[in-house]
Amino acid sequence: MRQSFRFIGRSTPRMDGVAKVTGREIYASDIYLPDMLYARVLKSPYPHARVKHIDVSGAERLGAVVVTYRDVPDVVYCPRLVSTPEATYKDWRVLTGKPLYVGDPIAAVAAESEELAQRALEAIEVEFEVLEPSFDPLESMRPGKPLLHERIRYMGEEVEVENNIACTMEIEQGDVERGFEEADVVLEREYRTNRRYHCQLEPKTAVVRPEPGGGVTIWTTTQSIHNTRLLIHEIFGIPVGKINVVKTALGGAFGSSIQTNIVVPIAVALALKARKPVRLAYTREEDLHEHCAYQMIFRLKLGARRDGRLTAGSLEAILDIGAHQIQAYPLLGCLVGWWVSLYKLPNLRYVGKAVYTNKVPSCAMRGYGNPQITWAVESLMDELAEELGLDPLEFKLLNHVGLGDLFWGQGPTVKSIIKSSGVEELVRRGARLIGWDKRPKPGAQRGRYRRGIGFGRGFHTSSAGAPVPGTVVDYTGAMLKVNEDGTLDYVTAMMDCGGGTLTAHAKIIAEEIGVPLECVNIVRADTQTTLYDVCTHASRGVYAGGAAALQVAREVKRKLLELAARVLDAYPHALKIRPDEERGQGVIYVEGVEGREITIGELASMARHKNWGTIAAVASVRQGSCPPHFTAYFVEVEVDTETGKVRPIRVVAGADVGRVINPKLAEGQIHGGFAMGWSMALLEDTPYDPRSGDLLNKGFITDYKLPTARDLPPLEDFQVFFVETEEPTGPFGAKGLGEGALNPVAGAIANAIYNAIGVRFYELPITPDKILKALKGGERR
Amino acid sequence: MKIRFKLNGREIEAEVEPNTLLLNLLREHLHLTGAKYGCGIGECGACTVLLDGEPILSCLTLAVEVDGREITTIEGLARDGELHPLQRAFLEEGAVQCGFCTPGMILTAKALLDENPNPSEEEIREYLKGNLCRCTGYVNIVKAVKRAAEEMAR
Ligand code: FES
Ligand code: FES
Repeated sequence: MRQSFRFIGRSTPRMDGVAKVTGREIYASDIYLPDMLYARVLKSPYPHARVKHIDVSGAERLGAVVVTYRDVPDVVYCPRLVSTPEATYKDWRVLTGKPLYVGDPIAAVAAESEELAQRALEAIEVEFEVLEPSFDPLESMRPGKPLLHERIRYMGEEVEVENNIACTMEIEQGDVERGFEEADVVLEREYRTNRRYHCQLEPKTAVVRPEPGGGVTIWTTTQSIHNTRLLIHEIFGIPVGKINVVKTALGGAFGSSIQTNIVVPIAVALALKARKPVRLAYTREEDLHEHCAYQMIFRLKLGARRDGRLTAGSLEAILDIGAHQIQAYPLLGCLVGWWVSLYKLPNLRYVGKAVYTNKVPSCAMRGYGNPQITWAVESLMDELAEELGLDPLEFKLLNHVGLGDLFWGQGPTVKSIIKSSGVEELVRRGARLIGWDKRPKPGAQRGRYRRGIGFGRGFHTSSAGAPVPGTVVDYTGAMLKVNEDGTLDYVTAMMDCGGGTLTAHAKIIAEEIGVPLECVNIVRADTQTTLYDVCTHASRGVYAGGAAALQVAREVKRKLLELAARVLDAYPHALKIRPDEERGQGVIYVEGVEGREITIGELASMARHKNWGTIAAVASVRQGSCPPHFTAYFVEVEVDTETGKVRPIRVVAGADVGRVINPKLAEGQIHGGFAMGWSMALLEDTPYDPRSGDLLNKGFITDYKLPTARDLPPLEDFQVFFVETEEPTGPFGAKGLGEGALNPVAGAIANAIYNAIGVRFYELPITPDKILKALKGGERR
Repeated sequence: MKIRFKLNGREIEAEVEPNTLLLNLLREHLHLTGAKYGCGIGECGACTVLLDGEPILSCLTLAVEVDGREITTIEGLARDGELHPLQRAFLEEGAVQCGFCTPGMILTAKALLDENPNPSEEEIREYLKGNLCRCTGYVNIVKAVKRAAEEMAR
């Protein structure tokens, strides 16, 4: 039976929307304070070096406040605090005397204007001893190569680094050799992904105001205000209560602010020294030197029997993490988790290695390794199906991890059983809509323009919840209080990165209690006034954050009914609440008894006059599960065999996100996911210039190809559909969406290109150059 | 130097340096932070404002250049508390995610609709190509511009 909802499942505008369309929304980069100083950062021009001598007197003579690596606390830390200490290696300092990539911060200045700060920066004199860099993880691992880090910290101890290997993970289940022997077909391929850059539109920014009494107030681009606070406490030793991180809107992040961005501790160091507010806003060029996605090399091997059953798989993954760890170890775990949760592998072996190179540090980017491995697996499964003479759709459905199976939501320590799945219907309906049956035979076309259809499927976890603690922190706090006019104040630390997360929470609250949506006021909050929330990541905003919202809503409703029962002389369980749009609030009434009713506002006022106290609830909620949300993409492309350019012709995208809370915004996630996947497959990369050691594009997005409005398919050729399931552990049956919306896209596109021209590519992005070369060579590989 | 110009319908006087950028004048001195800094060198369109009705990149425009002319920022689009049809359409169509590209996007779209009240989808995509959005894949943005055009035609 389908329940009928008032707000859930209907499209409603986002609640911060008016502020955003009128330019009134305040982002961290919009904060300008009286008497504020502007900061600039001195960065290494070398990819690997040691500072032999630094002279800042020139900068100080200009009146600037200066900090160098010698002035900051001698604390080695990890800027990402999502995983527990057991899964965390530390190798960061606020500023460094041994830069490890072009752009590594060495010193910073603050002055009354940006111009003066820049002049001060240029007045600093540094003498470097240049060291040998390495830009490729395979080269970096070679014995005898200079080490980026000789020692790093783990659980309070120093550990030695060998061959630049930051961390490793190995997992084996069953008997892999036997599994491959049982297979009729075994394929093994090597895949290389690109080094992508998030290009969130808002560059990283921190504004820090020192407070009387030794505290600081911080406005910054972050996905987690509480983790920012904890990190500043760890580095500077300021009592937690005196550090207040204020929530602002966030101009996109896609994972790049799960960790506390380097601008924050640098700005704190400057503000403490200057005793004045300091604003450190990165330029786009600087931002491109701040973070990027993980580049990965996979050696992937799969074996299957003639009947289509997979018998074994092995995966060797080498992660080029750049100069530092941003919790690379948990990623090694997640990567194997994504891999084994796509298709059932009775026997498997995994070796993952994260390797230091003299490049910009890598961090999570939408999907946390899942888009990378799904591209490889979806490509190889397609190839395997062809070898077996099977339809890839049937082959994938036969082997997919689905209802009742064990799912690794965040690696080996975060697992739960799948309780909702729309995979089968996603695949069948999508195939019908795109016309899968009519797709051409690979490589059979001749003319200049060749079209092909590809299929890719995938999933992502919704949160890192699990029945046992694991090594990932995942819980959310919420507070809800009833105001005297029947409106509600909802207080949460959770950030909305743009997905409409908090609007979804408001809808959950309105639905549960029975008040008009406008009654729910999302409070501007900060770390001092909220309960802990780990982070808006892992597609957990609606599923885990929404669960906390639901819990406080239930509790407030229970209290409302209890009080109303006294006033209306009825039993609490016989009372109902309906949203009364005319009166602009909820009305509590006795079902079937005319006139026996009271508005929530009247009740709350009465509670005040009678001194019953505030009707409110507080909760801190941990989800006991991490259900996957599923997606399936069917993409038709056209390859121009003369220019090598690929054009999107049609997209059919299906998603099982459990119950859909806000359809238009949910569709928006898919649209954005497709665009990001399109450029992952075809456009984006940040190669390095081996001579200078700097990014070839030097930090300009003109040379970093992002899709524009022109590059994507026309409206009528982009079809999105949802297969609604009911996730029993989700708020109103909802799961996540943000990352599943991207994960299978590159795989679907790669398969479509193969279908069009009969060539497979094992390296991303698939550029026109590569396509032309392959077509000239006439090879199938 | 002193400059005078019309800002969102109001006469304004400001003291600027010869090298002050319009974007910085608006954001830091006039406290209108609707125009965003996304790149500073003309790559993203987040800083778009209207100069005598034409979309310009305020990160590449000197403040002195607007002397005697008229600037409209996103803050000036809604009149008397009424949202502009484009603003309403962006809301209704879910064209706003993080919202960082939104002010520039809406103003560029406004210039398009002033020039061509009934643009085709292709024309919309072509006109918006200088405004990057990393969140929406442009789908709902294009829908919103179409919707606003239809509404304004009524
Ligand atoms: S900030 Fe002006 S174009 Fe990007
Ligand atoms: S909505 Fe985020 S960049 Fe466009």
